Amino acid sequence: MIQRQHNVSEPIPPFYIKTLLSLESALTSAIAKEKEAKKKMNATNAKALNSMKQKVRKASKEYEQDIAKYQADPEGFEREYTSLVTREAPATTSVTRTTGGIIDPDGNDGFQPVGKGGRTMLLTAEGIFKSLQSVQEARGKKNTDRGEQIKILEKLLELATTTYQRIRVLLALISSRFDYNSSASSHMPTELWVSAQNEVDQLVAIVASNPDYIVQETTEDYDDLAERSPATEKGGIVRIRGSIISFIDRLDDEFTRSLQNIDPHGTEYVERLKDEKTLYSTICRAQAFYEQTKQDDPLSRVIMRRLEHIYSKPDAVIQALESSAESADVNPYITLASKGSTSGLIHSLCVYLYRSGNSLHRTRAMLSHIYHYALLNDFHTARDMLLMSHLQESIHSADVATQILYNRTVVQLGLCAFRSGLIKESQATLLDIFTTQRVKELLAQGVHQQRYQVLTPEQEKAEKQRQLPFHMHINTELLEAAFLVSSMLVEIPLLASIDSEELKRKAISKPFRRLLDFADRQVFTGPPESTRDHIMQASKALQDGEWERCRDLIQSIKIWSLMPEAASVKEMLAKRIQEQGLRTYLFTYAPHYNTLSLSLLAQTFSLPLRSVTSIVSKMIWNEELAASLDQAGGCIAFHRTEVTRQQQLALTIAEKVNAMAEQNEKALDAKSGSSGGWGDRADGKTGEKRGEQVQERRGRGDRTRGGSRGGARGRGARFAQGLGNRMGHTSQRAG
Amino acid sequence: MAEYDLSKTIIPYLDRHLSFPLLAHLVETGVFPADEVQVAQYELAKGTNMFDYAASLFEQIYPNQEVPKGASQFEQKRVNAVSTHERLQQEAQAVLDVIENPDVAQALRQDKNHNLQYLKDNYNLTLDQITALYNFGKFQYSYGNYSGAADYLYHFRVLSTDPDLIISAQWGKLASDILTGKWDVALEELNSLREAIDSRTPAPFASVSSSTNNTPAVDPALSQLHSRTWLVHWSLFVYFNHPQGRALLLETFLSPTYLNTIQTSCPWILRYVAAAAIISSPTPTSKSSSAPQSSRVKNAVREVVKVIQMENYQYTDPITAFLMQLHVEFDFEAAQKELQKAEKVVSDDFFLGDFHDEFLESARCLVSEAYCRIHQRIDIGDLSDRLNLPRDEGEKWIVNLIRETRMGQDAKIDLEKNLIQISRPPQPVYQSVIEKTRGLAIRTQALGAAIARSGAAAAQAAPQSVEPVAVS
Repeated sequence: MIQRQHNVSEPIPPFYIKTLLSLESALTSAIAKEKEAKKKMNATNAKALNSMKQKVRKASKEYEQDIAKYQADPEGFEREYTSLVTREAPATTSVTRTTGGIIDPDGNDGFQPVGKGGRTMLLTAEGIFKSLQSVQEARGKKNTDRGEQIKILEKLLELATTTYQRIRVLLALISSRFDYNSSASSHMPTELWVSAQNEVDQLVAIVASNPDYIVQETTEDYDDLAERSPATEKGGIVRIRGSIISFIDRLDDEFTRSLQNIDPHGTEYVERLKDEKTLYSTICRAQAFYEQTKQDDPLSRVIMRRLEHIYSKPDAVIQALESSAESADVNPYITLASKGSTSGLIHSLCVYLYRSGNSLHRTRAMLSHIYHYALLNDFHTARDMLLMSHLQESIHSADVATQILYNRTVVQLGLCAFRSGLIKESQATLLDIFTTQRVKELLAQGVHQQRYQVLTPEQEKAEKQRQLPFHMHINTELLEAAFLVSSMLVEIPLLASIDSEELKRKAISKPFRRLLDFADRQVFTGPPESTRDHIMQASKALQDGEWERCRDLIQSIKIWSLMPEAASVKEMLAKRIQEQGLRTYLFTYAPHYNTLSLSLLAQTFSLPLRSVTSIVSKMIWNEELAASLDQAGGCIAFHRTEVTRQQQLALTIAEKVNAMAEQNEKALDAKSGSSGGWGDRADGKTGEKRGEQVQERRGRGDRTRGGSRGGARGRGARFAQGLGNRMGHTSQRAG
Repeated sequence: MAEYDLSKTIIPYLDRHLSFPLLAHLVETGVFPADEVQVAQYELAKGTNMFDYAASLFEQIYPNQEVPKGASQFEQKRVNAVSTHERLQQEAQAVLDVIENPDVAQALRQDKNHNLQYLKDNYNLTLDQITALYNFGKFQYSYGNYSGAADYLYHFRVLSTDPDLIISAQWGKLASDILTGKWDVALEELNSLREAIDSRTPAPFASVSSSTNNTPAVDPALSQLHSRTWLVHWSLFVYFNHPQGRALLLETFLSPTYLNTIQTSCPWILRYVAAAAIISSPTPTSKSSSAPQSSRVKNAVREVVKVIQMENYQYTDPITAFLMQLHVEFDFEAAQKELQKAEKVVSDDFFLGDFHDEFLESARCLVSEAYCRIHQRIDIGDLSDRLNLPRDEGEKWIVNLIRETRMGQDAKIDLEKNLIQISRPPQPVYQSVIEKTRGLAIRTQALGAAIARSGAAAAQAAPQSVEPVAVS
C-alpha cells in the first residue's frame, strides 16, 4: 500500500505512521512478554511475530524522518498532510480513502479486495489509469490474486470511454488473462481463452478502425496517467506500448497447449477443437489488419501461424476454416475464395513467406508446402521441392520444432510415395526414420522411454511441450504398415536372388530383416493378430511363392482403412505382390528348372502374358537371371553355371577390392572437399538420406544431451562391424 | 502430330531472329495451317529492322490488300534505320580503321587493359568508341546482316573490358554464326560462351532479364539457370548441324550441370538428348566411319534412359516413350508402336528432320540388340515386325546385321524354320574377374598421385589404404 502511494507520489498519511508506531510498541511489549512466558507461543506464531517485527522495522526505517517528525509533533504533522492532500485532485483523495479502507491494523501489506464503496469512486477517466497502473504493478507479484485483477480490469473496460482508454485497458486485460496460469505445464482454462480471444478480436478491430492509434513494441516514454488523443500528440498519431502479434502468438500457443493436455479421446477435445475456427478467423483478421497497415514483420509471423493451421489438413477442413474466416467483416488479401483451391491458397501464403526475409519462416513455409503437396499425392513435385530446397544439408542446425516439421514432411512424403505406388521410393524415404526405432519421438507424437538414463524434469517438460496435439498426428501404425509392406516388396525378391550366405548379411532394411529373422525363429506361429504379424506371415508366404495368401494377408490388415483411397491402394498392392511374387518365384526356383513355360507362369501369377514377358526380359537384361527367352517355344531357358568355391571366392575378392578402391576415392574426395556436390539428381538422393541421418543423429544428441554415448556407441559398433568384415576378408585372402 | 510439335515451347527461349528458320520449317511441314504460321512470322518480323522482309510477308498474308498503314510506318522506320546505320557506321569505322592497321594488330596482346591503354595513348581511342562497335554490330544484326554483325562483335569482344557487354556480344555473335551457318565458328563460340556462363556466378543475364522481368535483383543462381536454359536451346542449332554435333551434344547435356538444367527448366529437351543418343549409338553401317567415342557417348543410351525414367512424370513424347518401352518395360510391341510415331515426329522436327534415316537405322539396331540379348531363338518374321520392316527386307536387314556386327559368331539363321539361333556361351569366371579388376591399378595410381599432391598429412594414410589394392 505504501509502495503504491509512494508511486503516486503522495505524502505519507499520518495515520499510517501512527499505526506503525503503535505497532512497534505493541511488538516490543509482546516480545518482552514472550520472553517472560518462555516458550508459550507455538512455532508459527513465533515466526509470524518475527517477520512482523522485521517488516515493521523496515517500514519504520524507511519513514524514519516522518516518524521522528510525528513523534515530535503529532498534530502538526497531521495538519501538514491534510493541507497537502487538499491540493491534490479529488480523485486522489478518493484513492487514499479507498486505501484507508484496506489498511489492516496488523500492517499486513498483502493485497486485499477493494471495498465496493471504493470502487464506485473510480468512475472518472483518471481513475481508470490509476487503477490500471496499480494492477500492472501488482502483476507478477507473488500474492496477487489474478482472478481479482481480471475482474477489476473487466469492470474498467466497461467504464472506458475513449479509444485510448479502451486500448490501454484491453492490452492490460489480455496480458493479465495470459498471466492467469503461471506454471508452464498446465493450460489456460477454456473460458479464459475464449474471452481472451474475443478481446484480441476487439483490440484488432479498434486499432484497425482507428488508424490514428498505433500499438508498438517500443515507443517513446509517455505519461501513463494522462489521457492522450491524436490531437495532443505530435504527428497526430498516438503510439501505445504493446504487441498485438505476441498476443496472437500466445493465443495460438495456448490453444495448442490446451490440446496437448486434454485427453484426445474425450469429447472435451473435440469441443476444444471447434475453437480452432474462431482462432483461425482471429488470425485472418490480424493478417488483414497488418496488410492494411503494411507491417511486414508481424504480417509474416501471422501468415506463418495461419499456414501452420492449414498445411496438414485435408481440403474439407481447410474449406470449413476458411468459410468461417470469410464471414468476418474484414478479410485478408489472400483467401480461399480468391485463390480458388486450397493448394492455391497455401501456395500464395508460402510464396509470401518465401519473399519475406526471415529464413526461419522461409524454411518452415517450404516444409509446410512440401507437406501439403505430399498430402495431395503429388510426389514428384514434393520430392523435387525437397531436393531443391537443400534443406537436408542445413536441417540439423535448425531448432527442434523445425526438425520435427522436417521429419513429419519426410514421413508424409514416404506415405505419399506409398499411396502412389512408388514402393521403392517409399521404402527408401521411410527407412531412415525407422532405423532409429524412435519414430514416435522424432515425430513428436510421444515420449521415448529412455532405458539408460532418466530425464531431468526440465527436459521432460520441454519434451512434453514439443508434442504435437493429437489431431495433427500421423498414424504411426499406418506408417509402420506402409514401411514394412514396402520393405517386404523390396526385400523378399532380393533375399531370394542372393544365394551366398555372405551377401545375405547386407540388408536393405535392417528393421524389416530383424523382424523377419525373429519370425523365422519362432517354433509355432498362430494366426496373425497385429499388423506386424500379418506382414511377417505375408512375407513368408511370398517367399514360398504363395502370392495369393500373401495378398489376402496384406489386404486383411485393418489399418489400411485409415488411408485415403484405401481400395485403390489395396489394388495397387495386390498388383505389386503379383509381380514381386513372380520375381521371387523365379529367383528361388530357377535352379530347379531347365526351361519354364511363360504361359504357365502367366497362369500361376494371373498376370497377362505380356507383362510376364516384360518382367522376365527385364531380369535377363539386368543380368539378375541367367536365362534367355525362346520365342518359338514360348518359354524361358535357364543357363545355370555352377561356380566352384574357388571361383566364387575370386569373384568376391574382385568385388571387395573394387569397393575398397571406390571407398578410397570417396575418402579422398571428402578430404579434399572437391566432391561433385549437388550436381545431379542421383547425388541429391543420397544427399537427402545423408542429411536425414545426420539430422536424426543430431536429434538424438539433442534429446539425450549428456547421454550421447548411446548414439556414439551405436555408430562405433557399426564401424567396428565394417572393419571386422574387411579384416575377415583380408585374412581369408591370406589363407 | 501437332501435339508433339515443340516449336511453341522452344521459341520463347530463342532470339527473334533464330525463330525465323523454325517458323519457315513449320510452313514446309504443314503441321499447322500455313496462314497462321505466316501471321506469326509477320508479327515476328515487325519487331526487327528487316522492313522489306516484313513487308513481303505482309503481302503474302493479305495478297489482296495494299500494304496499308504499314507502308508508311515501314518507310519511316527505314529512313530512321538508314540514318542510324550511317551514324553508327561512321563511329565504328573510326575504330575499325585503327584496329585494321597492321602495326596495331601486332602491338595488341592478351592483356585487355594494356591494349586499351595502348590504343588510347597512340590513337586516342576511348572505351566509348569501342562500344560503338558493339552498337553497330547489334544494329546490323537487327536488320539481318549477320555476317557483318559477327565481325563487329568479334572485334568488340577482343577489345572491350565490360563483362556484361562482352557476354551480350557473345550471344550476338553466336546467333549470327548460327544464322550464317558457320557451324565450326559457332561451335567455338558456343563453347566459350558456355565457359563464360559456368565460370560466372553472378550471371550475365541479370542485366537482360532484369529489364524484362521487372525484378531488379535477380538471384544469381536463378539467372545462371536462365542463361543455361537459353544456351541449351541455342546450342540445338549448332549440335544438329555440326558433323560432330551429336556426340558433343551428349557430352554437354549429360554433364551434371546441364542435365540438371534440363530437368528443372526444360524437360522437353530430353527429346533431343534421346534422339541424339539413339542416333549416335553404333550401327553396322556407320561403324567403320565413326571415330572412337568417349565413354559418355557409349553409355549415352543407358544414361538417357535413366533420366527419361526419372522425368517420365514431367515429359513424354514418342521418342522418349520408345526408349522407355524398349529399355525399361521391355515391351517390344509397344516399342514398335512408339517407334512408328517417333518416326513421324522426327521427320517433322526442325532439328531432327535431317537425321530421319539415321534415327530409324539406329533405333532398329537398338531394338534388335535388345531382342537378341534376351532371346535364344527368334522368329525372323516376328523380329521384322518389331522393326517395322516387311519380311523380305527384314530378313535382308537381319542378315546384314549379323554379318557386320560382333554377333557373327553367336547367331545363326535357320532358314528352314525361319529362325535365328543365338548361342551365348556364358562368360567364364576368370573373364569377369579380369573385367572387374581392370583399371583398378590405374585408379589407385591416380589416387596415390592425388594423395601425394595433397600433402604429407594425407600421405601417411595412403600406404595403408593403397596396399591391399596393389597386391591384387
